[in-house]
Formats: sequence, structure tokens, C-alpha cells
Amino acid sequence: MTGVIRDFLDNARWELVRLRRSQRIWLLLIPAIAGPIGSTLADLYLRVPSPATAQVLGLLITAGLASLVLLDLTALAVGEDLALRTHYFTFALPQSRAAALAGRLTIAVGGSLAVFGVGVILVLALASELVASLPGAVPAILVPAHLAAGLFGLLLFLGGVTSAAGFLTRSSSQALVAGVLAGVVVAGLASLFLLEGRLTPTFPEALAAGGLIGLTWTVVQFQRADG
Amino acid sequence: MTSDVVVADGLWKRYGNREVLRDVRFTLRSGEAVGYLGPNGAGKTTTLKLLAGISRPTRGSVQIHGLDPVGDRGAALRKLGALVETPGVPPYLQGRDLLDYVARVKGVPAGERRGAARRAAEAMGVEGHTDRAFGTLSTGLARRLLLAATLIGEPDLLLLDEPTLGLDPAARHDLRVVLRGLARNGLTLLLSTHLLEDVEAVCGRVLFLRDGALVGDEPLRPSDLDGGGASNRALRLRFSSDVTSASVGGALGPDYAITIDTPRDAIVRFSGGDVEQRELLVRLLAAGLPLVGASPPEPDLARRYFERVGREDSE
Repeated sequence: MTGVIRDFLDNARWELVRLRRSQRIWLLLIPAIAGPIGSTLADLYLRVPSPATAQVLGLLITAGLASLVLLDLTALAVGEDLALRTHYFTFALPQSRAAALAGRLTIAVGGSLAVFGVGVILVLALASELVASLPGAVPAILVPAHLAAGLFGLLLFLGGVTSAAGFLTRSSSQALVAGVLAGVVVAGLASLFLLEGRLTPTFPEALAAGGLIGLTWTVVQFQRADG
Repeated sequence: MTSDVVVADGLWKRYGNREVLRDVRFTLRSGEAVGYLGPNGAGKTTTLKLLAGISRPTRGSVQIHGLDPVGDRGAALRKLGALVETPGVPPYLQGRDLLDYVARVKGVPAGERRGAARRAAEAMGVEGHTDRAFGTLSTGLARRLLLAATLIGEPDLLLLDEPTLGLDPAARHDLRVVLRGLARNGLTLLLSTHLLEDVEAVCGRVLFLRDGALVGDEPLRPSDLDGGGASNRALRLRFSSDVTSASVGGALGPDYAITIDTPRDAIVRFSGGDVEQRELLVRLLAAGLPLVGASPPEPDLARRYFERVGREDSE
């Protein structure tokens, strides 16, 4: 095993220890369980007219919950050590800083995306199984599968913005605020494009690309950071 | 044979328009314990950051065992333990989490990690606190756990920045004993501190830093100051009644340099080792001088500190 891979794995494990000790690991259950079950119950109670509409609502709710978890975990993964100056200790350890942060972000961002993926599967399955189509129901505003893919792009974007903000501000709380603001802007733009009939796959693709750029930039800057 | 463990070659560091370090040069040889003294803002912590690869010099270079701590950090930092400033640890983490993490990153084999962590914790007297969250520990205990983490992986170089900060007197004493023991066993130590007694207790050489520039690099004890000259040893002699330079000089002969410090105290410098020292005492007693004590001269570090860096922020 090369040094970089070992550094990556050591720090991925370290991030899991942090999540476990801070009890934040339980947050990962929210998008995977609370989102699908909660939205399905709401669908049934509100008599949502079609499985596709139920799926759209469930996906939006689950993505909203996943985004909160992602923002929190990402902001802490990048910003907490910098705010506490723990990096004065960890930067002096014989490891690649880039690999170290990549390992931690893989757990924070990757974990949030993974549990959102579980939530997506459950939302789609529960809605198609439990929600019946009412006669004369209007078509869903979005194709659920497209929406799910777009939401992955959104979450990736939020991860990128939050991680970059965490590095720039050296503060997890400010990173969190930056992520929330980014989410609000993206939601506004998406609504605008939807109303104007201009919402195409390019938008979430651009978001995903932006997110990957943000994450990569953070990792590269972390390696170069002047403590 | 000694070798250079650390080479700081013309280090400059600038933050914005502020020059924090200016052409700092020194080497640390294997097994040396060196004190790094200077007032607040002199650049001590910045130097340690550069040595530990936390920061990059604006100009100049650092070598740890001949390697760049930034470019070759994996190899250069493997045998380094560094505690720079006062790093915080997330309050929910436990001491054993940190010790295990450091052991993993330093490449301690899986079967030895627990033992390495236990030994490090025992060395700092915190073995009973490793399963407590950092948020529940006192400042001193948290610091001792961080110090324990620097000992993981059997480092041969320790860079410590105010290591006794926040420690109670007993813990401070224990830490000095630990550091002295490590230094005796060949570990190289750079100890940055405001506490002169820490340096006196642990170090054999001292660097003085003022306004980012090195203004002194000398042995701790005055007896070593003339190492390159005719005399390389010194003794403070105490007498039960007044003596003069002539009376002591008459007893010892021309090979001894005598300084009368007080009427009953003299510092004698001479070249040689234990045999010559014993001969010196025999001559004094044989001459009937009222000798009642002999000891190495005090480091007199406070006076030298003030001379080198001034009185600002002195402790």
C-alpha cells in the first residue's frame, strides 16, 4: 500500500472516529430513513395524486435533509481543525495533507451522498408501492429519476462550496453559512429556470462539476496551506 | 560522532509586510537539547512551524535529517514529534483516539500501536485519562496528552513550543525529568519557551532570538563558553572566609584563570577533565585555603537573556 493511500485510509478512519465520538454518525440515518418514511406518510395523509408526484415530493424532502447533514459534516471536516488550530499538530505528522483531507471528505461528502442514495431508492420504492394514482391526476412536475440525478449534482455542489468556504474562512460555522446561502441561490435559480421552461440537465451537471472543482480546489489548497 | 539533525539555513519568513524571521541560521546536532529563547513575537513559534513543515519559509531552507519537511514530509517527519503553539482538539475526542491516530499515521505496526500509545501516555503520566474526552480534561492534562502523542513512534527529534504551559508544578517537574531522560538517550530537542528554568533544567545550549533575528547561540553553562579557548571547564568555589585572587592563584599556579565573584566565592576556569579538577581541589586544600564547596557555575541565564534580547517580556 503506498503512502498516499495509507494516509487516505487512516484519515477516512479518523473521520469515522470523529463522527462516532461526536454522535454525528446518527445524522446519516436521517436522509436514509426519516426522509423516505416521513415523506411517504405525508403522501398518504395528503392523498398525493400519483406515485410520480409522491416521488418528487419525497426526493425533495430527502435531499433537503441530506443537504443539511452534508453541510454539517463537510463544514466540520474542513473547518473544525483549522478553527481549533488542531492542524498545528496534524500538519507536523508524516502524511500527505491532500490525501488526509481527501480521506476525511470522502466520509463527510461521500457518506452524505451515499445515504441520500439509499433514501432515493426507498422513496422511489415506497411511493410506487404505497401511493395509488388518482383518476385525472396531473403529471408530476418533474421526472423523478431526472430529479434524483439533479439532486446529486446539487449535493455535490454544496459539498464543494462548503469545503472551499471552510478552508478560506478557517471556520466551520462560516462554511455552514456559505453552504446554506449557496443552496438558497441554487434553489432560486432552479425555480426560475423551471418557471421559464429552461431547466435542462446542463444545470445539475454544471452544479456537479462546480462541486467537484470546489472539493478538488480545497484538497489542493490544503496540501499547499501555510499553517 | 554527531550529525546534523536539523539545519536551518538562512530562514526568512514574511507575513504581508511584516518580516517575522530574518536570516535565522542554526543547526541541531544529534542528541543536543537546545533552548530557544526570545520575547513574545520574536519568531520562535514561526521557526518551529518552519521546522515542522507546518509553514514554508519565504527564503532559506530547512532540512530535517537532510530532507525538506514540506517536500519530503513523509520521510522527514516520520521521526519527528512536534507540539507547536497550543493546538486544540475537538472536545468530543478521547485521548486514545488521538494516540491511535498518530500511531497509525506514523506507521507504527498494528500489533504495536496499543503498546506505543500506553508507553507514551505513561511517560507523560496521563495513562489514566486516555479514555476521557478532551472537553472534560483540564488544560494541563490535555496538554500532557498532546505531549504524549508527540512521543509516539519513538521520535529522534522533538520540537516543543512552551511545553510546560498550563502545567502544575509537579507536572512541570515531571516533564522536565522526562525531557532530560529523552535527551540523555540521544533524542534531539529544541525547546522554545519563556521559562528560563525549563531551559536550565533540560538544555545544554541556548539560542536567543530577537525581532526575528538570532542574536545568540551559546552553551548553557558559562563553564562551556570558553570551549574553544584555553579553558574549557569552570568551578565555583566557596570558602568559609575571604579569599583573594592572589591567594587562590598562589595555591593553583598559572594554569588557572581566577575570578573573585564575592569575597568568599571564586570562579576558576581551567582546561582538562575530572583529573585536573581533582588536582585543583587537592592543591587548594593543601595550601590551607578554607574551601567548603565546589560546584559548576550557575548558568546565569537570566542575565544573558536580558543582555541578548533586552528586558521586554522577560520572565
